[in-house]
Amino acid sequence: MDKISIPIGPHHPLLKEPLSMRIDIAGERVLGGTLRMGYVHRGIEKMTAQRTYVQDVHLIERICGICSHVHTTTFCLGVEKLLGIDVPPRAQYIRALMCELERVHSHLLWLGILSKHVGLETVFMHTWHDRELALDIMEGISGGRVSHAANQIGGVRFDLSPEQEVMVKENIGKLKAQVSGVLGVIENEPALRARTQGVAPVSADLIRDYCVVGPVARASGVDVDLRRDDPWPPYDQLDVNVITRPEGDAWARTLIRALETRESLRLCEVLLRQMPEGPVTVRAPRKVPEGEVVTRSEAPRGEVLYYLRSDGSDKPARLKVRTPTLAVLSLLPEQLSKIHVADIPVVLAGIDLCIACADR
Amino acid sequence: MFRGLFYLLIFPGLAFQVVCGLIFEWIDRKLLARFQRRIGPPWYQPVADLIKLFSKEDLVPLGSYDLVEVLLPLISLSAVLTAGLYIPIARFTPFSFEGDLIVIQFLMSVPTLAYYLAGIASVGIYSILGGGRSLLQYFSYEVPLLITISGPAVMAGSWSVAEISRSQLTMGPFIIFQPLGFILAVVGLIGKLKRDPLDIPSASSEVVGGSLTEFSGAKLGFWYLVMNVQAVVGIFLLVNLYMGWSNLTFPFAAILVFLVEFLLMVLILSTTSAVFARLRIDQLAGLGWRILVPLALTQLGFVILMGV
Amino acid sequence: MKAMRKRHSLLDAIIDAVFSRPDTVAYPFGELQLPEGYRGAIVINPENCTGCGLCVRDCPTGALKLEKKSRDEFKLIHYPARCAYCSQCESSCVRGAIGHSNALVGATDRPRELIVVLKDKKEGED
Ligand code: SF4
Ligand code: SF4
Repeated sequence: MDKISIPIGPHHPLLKEPLSMRIDIAGERVLGGTLRMGYVHRGIEKMTAQRTYVQDVHLIERICGICSHVHTTTFCLGVEKLLGIDVPPRAQYIRALMCELERVHSHLLWLGILSKHVGLETVFMHTWHDRELALDIMEGISGGRVSHAANQIGGVRFDLSPEQEVMVKENIGKLKAQVSGVLGVIENEPALRARTQGVAPVSADLIRDYCVVGPVARASGVDVDLRRDDPWPPYDQLDVNVITRPEGDAWARTLIRALETRESLRLCEVLLRQMPEGPVTVRAPRKVPEGEVVTRSEAPRGEVLYYLRSDGSDKPARLKVRTPTLAVLSLLPEQLSKIHVADIPVVLAGIDLCIACADR
Repeated sequence: MFRGLFYLLIFPGLAFQVVCGLIFEWIDRKLLARFQRRIGPPWYQPVADLIKLFSKEDLVPLGSYDLVEVLLPLISLSAVLTAGLYIPIARFTPFSFEGDLIVIQFLMSVPTLAYYLAGIASVGIYSILGGGRSLLQYFSYEVPLLITISGPAVMAGSWSVAEISRSQLTMGPFIIFQPLGFILAVVGLIGKLKRDPLDIPSASSEVVGGSLTEFSGAKLGFWYLVMNVQAVVGIFLLVNLYMGWSNLTFPFAAILVFLVEFLLMVLILSTTSAVFARLRIDQLAGLGWRILVPLALTQLGFVILMGV
Repeated sequence: MKAMRKRHSLLDAIIDAVFSRPDTVAYPFGELQLPEGYRGAIVINPENCTGCGLCVRDCPTGALKLEKKSRDEFKLIHYPARCAYCSQCESSCVRGAIGHSNALVGATDRPRELIVVLKDKKEGED
């Protein structure tokens, strides 16, 4: 059969963010693909050097539309390290709580997208209904659905009132029930299994070669999770269960994310139970002393790394962000061969792309 | 003369089928929305969509055969409308003749072939992919569907839909004798209509819009109309073949029963599209030839044995 | 098929969904529920504002502007279309003068609504 190459992106119903791929196919078989990116490059790293640290927090929040909180947290951790200030424990707990809620919302969003790509629009709608609960919690305590503006240098911007704590607990209880339903569907729905099981498996060696992180790595049996491996407080006081699967296929990735959602909800409950009293913020000076710092944390998609160099002024001299999606993207051409055309959405959705993060 | 025109244009022809098609679309979308915890569209939404499409600019991509593109949806529409004429609607059949089941089957295949040609004629890369897929899908579901549908015909001893439908008054509805056949026929119908879960040729995340990617404006509107009318005709056919309760002598009861059966079929179609994921084309081919065909043959064998 | 056997199957979820209230709202006819602390329109308590400009300095988008003629005569202007509703101004203001209400700010085609004068202090007023 003739080889033809089909363009996927930058505009395609499959992609919610612009990314361009050329995929060579023969009939219904995929032979290979190439990748082009950079469509949402906004120059955020450069822009941070022109703004003060206080303003940068809000700019960095807009790197990603899903995991916005973990970006600001990592940035604030770096700045606070340079400043040498200690964040009050209550603020740390609220930060971690938001991180976990964000993971819940990100994973549920992703589950919906995957099921939409395999033609299960019902699951899409239902998981997004559940995700709305997580968003409600975050909106209720921070005032924003996705841009929470929770962090500021030196702590968090808001406190949890007792009524809010009750609301959060209630909603988390509801979410837990819903998530177990979603898990049941993933484990038992033959239609979903037929489309994802055995699709584009990736071996653990390949994962290590490409430095892939996050749920994709864990689905291939690579045991990495910064919440356990390099924790910032309060994660060092929690015991995070890292979930891995040996299969490495799209179904394992689906299951991993569902299980991680459940684990995150458990962590949320623990965090709420252990939440200490006290202030939520300390005053931070505007000028940051000279120095370099690297901070890392576990975003829903894997490791986020921030490198920050300060020259002693109130603006950063250089900020470098590394997001998990880039590493996973480089694995994409490897996966896009010897599969069916109908598997392209599953593979693409399976690695949970966040192009806005990767391009910045 | 006027009587014939009335049959063609009003009932059970053009106007009736189109209105039924729009009603079908609305019920289907509303049901799906409720399954998905949504409110769903208001009752005039299908009409509004159609008006909007018909008033839109018609873009013809460079290098496509625009006359073919215009003709294809019109031919398919007339084919399915003609097929609809031979199907009894609550006992009412102006044009029935012996062997019309075969004619209906043939006419109902026209949109699929037109869909394939539309993909080829509009030269887009996704259109060609979608067209090829629709043909592959056609080969997978059509054979089991043909075998299955001959079940009721053999049982009733006639190849006229009206006759098959009527014979169920004395013999009992065929869904009781051929439950397997009914399920297979529904699967075949879903494949014919390219509905979820067999929407392989038009899967948006894979081939964008399938064959219809390059269509716009009124032509696209006609295509949507074709899909809806085809769905309605298919449902009417299955109702007549398998649920012959609607042949009661009392006309009011016949209409009521027919309506209930129609709604039941819509419910079945909506539920399947909500519950099942889209199959891969190789999975569909496997399903069609390895599972559906043997099952259909078994069903037909049973029917023949029962008749002996 | 197999889906029917398990308790948490899609079919159950669907039946459940049919008998529960829909989640969507027929916006703009339906009711929109915003939580208490929703970060909506920027409002000011004019009594407390002294025109110090701290909020203007920290605003990341440049949505606030202070036209200061003298200590007693200044104008604090907010441009809603530029604002990111990030609540930085609220944290920066030491007098607690500026903040969010929980009114939703939509898009607008009226130029008048794009410039909001939060405080216009003239000479001699207090
Ligand atoms: S709102 Fe607050 S920070 Fe802004 S000028 Fe007035 S007093 Fe100063
Ligand atoms: S909410 Fe943020 S963007 Fe808007 S005026 Fe205040 S500081 Fe500026």
